[in-house]
Amino acid sequence: MQIREYILRRLMILPLIVVGTSIIVFTLSRVGGNPIAIYLEHEMTPAEVAEIEERYGLNDPLPVQYLAWAGGVLTGDMGWSAVSAQPVTEALLDRVGATLELATFAAIVAITMGVGLGTFGGARRDRLPDHLTRVFSISGASMPIFWFAILLLILFWVNLGWVSIGRSDPIIFATIAHPTGLYTIDALLAGSPSAFLDALRYMALPAITLGFGATAIIARMMRSSLVEELNEDYVDAARAKGLPERLVLRRHARRNALIPTVTVIGLGFGFLLQGTVVVEIIFRWPGLGRWMADAVLRGDQATIMAYVLFTSILFLAVNLIVDVMYAYLDRRVVLGA
Amino acid sequence: MVLVVLAVLAAACTGDTTTETTGADDTTPATTAPGATTTPEDTTPEEPSGEVSNPGLYVHAADDEPLSLDPAQAAAGEAGETVIAQVYERLVEIGPGGPDLIPGLSSEVPTVENGLISEDGLTYTFPIREGVVFHDGSELTADVVKFSWDRALTMALPEGNSSVLSDLVASTEVDGNNFVVTLNERNAAFLNSVVTAAVASIVSQEAVEANGGVEAGAVNDFMTGNMVGTGPYTFSAWNRAENIQLEVFDGYWGEPAALDVRIDQVADTDVRALGLQAGDYDSIETDPTFIDLLEGAEGVTIFSGDFLLEPVHMGMNMNIQADLLPPEDTIPPDFFHDVNVRRGFNLAFDYQAFIDGGLGGLGGVVPHYLPQGMLGYDESLPVFERDLEAAEAAFTEAGYWDEGFTMTVLVEEGGIFEVAGLVLADSMAELNPAFNVQVLAVVEGQFDSAHAEDPFPYAAWVKNADPFADPAALFSAYIHPDGDWGAVHGFRDAYADPDLIASLVDEAAVELDSDRRVEIYQELATLLYEDPVWLIPGNERALMAHRTWIQNFDMNPLWPRPSLKFAYFDK
Amino acid sequence: MVELSAPSRLPLPTHGPLAVRARRFAEVARQVLRNPTTVAGLVIIVALLAMAFLAPLLTTPNAPDPYQMPRDWTMRDVPPGTPGHPLGTTSTGGDVFYGVLWGARTSLQLSVIVVSITVTVGIIVGSLAGFIGGKLDEILMRLVDVFLAIPELIFALAIAAVLGPSFSNIIFALAVVFWVKYARIIRGQIIHIKQNDYVDAARVTGDSRFSIYRKDVLPNSITPVMVQATMDMGGIVLTAATLSFIGLAEAGLAEWGVLVSDGQAGISAGRWWASTFPGLMVFLWALAFNLVGDGLRDVLDPRTEGR
Repeated sequence: MQIREYILRRLMILPLIVVGTSIIVFTLSRVGGNPIAIYLEHEMTPAEVAEIEERYGLNDPLPVQYLAWAGGVLTGDMGWSAVSAQPVTEALLDRVGATLELATFAAIVAITMGVGLGTFGGARRDRLPDHLTRVFSISGASMPIFWFAILLLILFWVNLGWVSIGRSDPIIFATIAHPTGLYTIDALLAGSPSAFLDALRYMALPAITLGFGATAIIARMMRSSLVEELNEDYVDAARAKGLPERLVLRRHARRNALIPTVTVIGLGFGFLLQGTVVVEIIFRWPGLGRWMADAVLRGDQATIMAYVLFTSILFLAVNLIVDVMYAYLDRRVVLGA
Repeated sequence: MVLVVLAVLAAACTGDTTTETTGADDTTPATTAPGATTTPEDTTPEEPSGEVSNPGLYVHAADDEPLSLDPAQAAAGEAGETVIAQVYERLVEIGPGGPDLIPGLSSEVPTVENGLISEDGLTYTFPIREGVVFHDGSELTADVVKFSWDRALTMALPEGNSSVLSDLVASTEVDGNNFVVTLNERNAAFLNSVVTAAVASIVSQEAVEANGGVEAGAVNDFMTGNMVGTGPYTFSAWNRAENIQLEVFDGYWGEPAALDVRIDQVADTDVRALGLQAGDYDSIETDPTFIDLLEGAEGVTIFSGDFLLEPVHMGMNMNIQADLLPPEDTIPPDFFHDVNVRRGFNLAFDYQAFIDGGLGGLGGVVPHYLPQGMLGYDESLPVFERDLEAAEAAFTEAGYWDEGFTMTVLVEEGGIFEVAGLVLADSMAELNPAFNVQVLAVVEGQFDSAHAEDPFPYAAWVKNADPFADPAALFSAYIHPDGDWGAVHGFRDAYADPDLIASLVDEAAVELDSDRRVEIYQELATLLYEDPVWLIPGNERALMAHRTWIQNFDMNPLWPRPSLKFAYFDK
Repeated sequence: MVELSAPSRLPLPTHGPLAVRARRFAEVARQVLRNPTTVAGLVIIVALLAMAFLAPLLTTPNAPDPYQMPRDWTMRDVPPGTPGHPLGTTSTGGDVFYGVLWGARTSLQLSVIVVSITVTVGIIVGSLAGFIGGKLDEILMRLVDVFLAIPELIFALAIAAVLGPSFSNIIFALAVVFWVKYARIIRGQIIHIKQNDYVDAARVTGDSRFSIYRKDVLPNSITPVMVQATMDMGGIVLTAATLSFIGLAEAGLAEWGVLVSDGQAGISAGRWWASTFPGLMVFLWALAFNLVGDGLRDVLDPRTEGR
């Protein structure tokens, strides 16, 4: 199949999947959950409960409710977020910058460490460094993020006092404008080194914690594809010609090995997305993950639905891009299998 | 891996010198006579003032976030009320010293003596203070006061607290510079618990009309997230999940505040404690389990004040519907009709375990139903103590001793309600292994949802009482056979003489003579000891910790939790 | 029996007497055991299983429900090393050692149940899609796509949040989320074999579709399913612990995630043991199964075999 056809086909299926996801998400919250619960105060009378139901349209038949919600999503009105006492759309836009920034820095950490470790281990296959790096990277994938985060906090916050929780020092934060919602970028735009450093200081530990797990996935993939590359004929040929192992082969092999590694970026992104929920809780990061956690504990269905839909669309988009990238980079792949 | 090991070692090295049996309890109970003034119990010596963090700014770390900053929308007892207390004002306020009232936006407190309360107790006249300006520059007049009250009554939001107004107020009028309220029946608690309530706050008419106006049954999004009042603080920003910022109002009519305020939202108790130690926060509400950590900390003062007015209680359902109960429950629908069963529970409960375990030693047992600090409370009133023999006798008399029973109690998860439920289960099991109490812990929303149902779908539930400033409201809600819970739980099937209870509660509600009221409430307390309709595990002490550099620190449990008014403080 | 040139992707036999199979199995086992990290993983697994099985013997089971942490209001927050409490106690007086052992039991139950359900459902759905093909295949694969669109933890979180905090709801939530990979594996195998020569040859010899399924598809799928299931044993417990940590498990359950969450508040007060030990257990469990799964994949994956 041609790449263009492949892309087109994927793009056509995408809306179907999004709609399917939205139906699952909606059904989950309405059929399984108790959507009105969060809007109630204790000791409300049944009459007051009925008023609340009316206000949020919860006594309409389910298909009507779905259409109302889905229609709202398309026009930008996703209801009221009880956990943040503001419209869902507003709450989402307020917080997306924080999570995006965190995920980006974590990704940088993950990619750098992952590729580096994978190369280091893959080139020394089955020898001690390989085993050690393999254990290290698998530890990352097995590590309960919540536990790791707590331990790091104890060391770096409680004992050493090098870092603090939250996203910023509120006083420094207030000194600059926030056009993009990304603290580091806003600090650069405002030309404020103190704000920039403040951003990094608070970002360091959460980004490392979050990236640590994704590192494993990338390292593992990098290692195995590097090993595969080093087994290829052209490598034997180059070795026979006497080219220095280090300089030329590793570079060529590594570049080729990066190609399949790209596919795990999608997986790694999913990992990061999920990790933000826990990391944001523990580090008190004011992003989407913590918003979702609050919503989950208190039964705020409007927020849960918005968050799940949003992350799914993001996840789908990234996976699509990655698949297409891979298709471009390596024509050997069987498209559309 | 190395990091992990290091971190584990580091964790092991922090604070392992403290012994973990219950912390030294050197706080003596505060005086609990009616109208008690708070006597702060400081447990660390005064530190010489050195470097203060954040000069000019007061940072309080709160454990929950408001659902609304609109007085017409904020629910009774929720976090929004505390911010409303700083930024908005009411006609009359509860003074810093105790339950005594001081003038607010009304230049005088109405009494029978000064003639501002009519002879029949139905008409209250509030002369409005002159020269008061709102944060947006508009002027305070009696018309604006009427607008504010009418607004709350018109919107009548189900989640808000406007029912305390609509239940009592027949009409409001403007007479020159006076705001006149006519009630539809006499009520002793009108001034001290209705006029001082957050819902009766005075808002800027100009601001409301410019931003959505007033609509019956509709929420005003602007007012939910913004505040325009007359108080010593102006609203500056609400960064969701992070903080609320307030600034000193230069044009305030009274004594200006000294410090700007930032209320940080920090849900984790341990993070609050650490932040206080580090000097990031000036005050925090804390948990008894953190007293050990904070007690010896440099620059930190523990403030253990009066009891809160929201005792933890277990409701007993006399109106059980057999088909609504969980399948495991074996109790009959008239289980709690029998006074022996109700007394049996009260006698079997391990109050000490709950106070020590759930409240960290900082709490007390409550006579039915007058918590310490409430008008009418007296140390001599009968309280339940654990008495397993008497409990056994009661249950034997009721006929359950041999066959036992299984009962589910609904609690809100996480926190002292869950602990109370667990202590109850353990207490009953200890009394008789055949007594099986299942604790069903659900999230707040689910709990509130069940609470709104009538008939109530479980045999029992644990929560805390609403914070009432006056016993009239407390008794009406929780004791009166036809009151809110009386109706839902069917108190008439429980009380030996429901009409007597009803008449006593009604009498005390309209009696304006304090002493006579105290007599009536104490009579009720004695009756209820013999014929309880609740189980009251205990009453918490307010527990705050603050930096020693804060001056004039004080709290009043009659103010919305955390019971602080920042305008009085300084560094 | 003529074995046609089909590049059987995996070293396991598709036909042959039992002895051959056993010998091949031993061969694989030896290869697996050559890898020290995999061996380490196996050792840890054995230790964890021992903990799970021996829990009722090494501790006194709590009555009436041994899976509830015992409470003792007089022994709260006792540090490790106190007589009777080698790992200390929690803020409700529960013995941490008890929690560690019974948590292993809980985790074992959880992972075995969920893996059984997911493998079964995945195989059924994948087989239907692969064999029947056509429209049904399209629909089922779209459904799989929809399920895969939602990141695992978030999906499980949403389901568990909606159903309410309980052990069985977490099992249900995890099962709903984790079955899709198996469907894909089985379907992939079927399609691969359909495209393969020796199916036609087998047809020629008269083998029915079902026997092809039994003799070709299933055995060839065992290895990727096995690898995935091993990894899932670890991943499921990790996800469940995260869900409990966030707050979706029932109160007082003897489960590692619940214990870490309950113990978290005490850490800054110096009470590190109530969450460090259970958290360590989650880590070891996931690590062990990941190591073994990884080792298995290394041996059984054709791309890296033999060199």
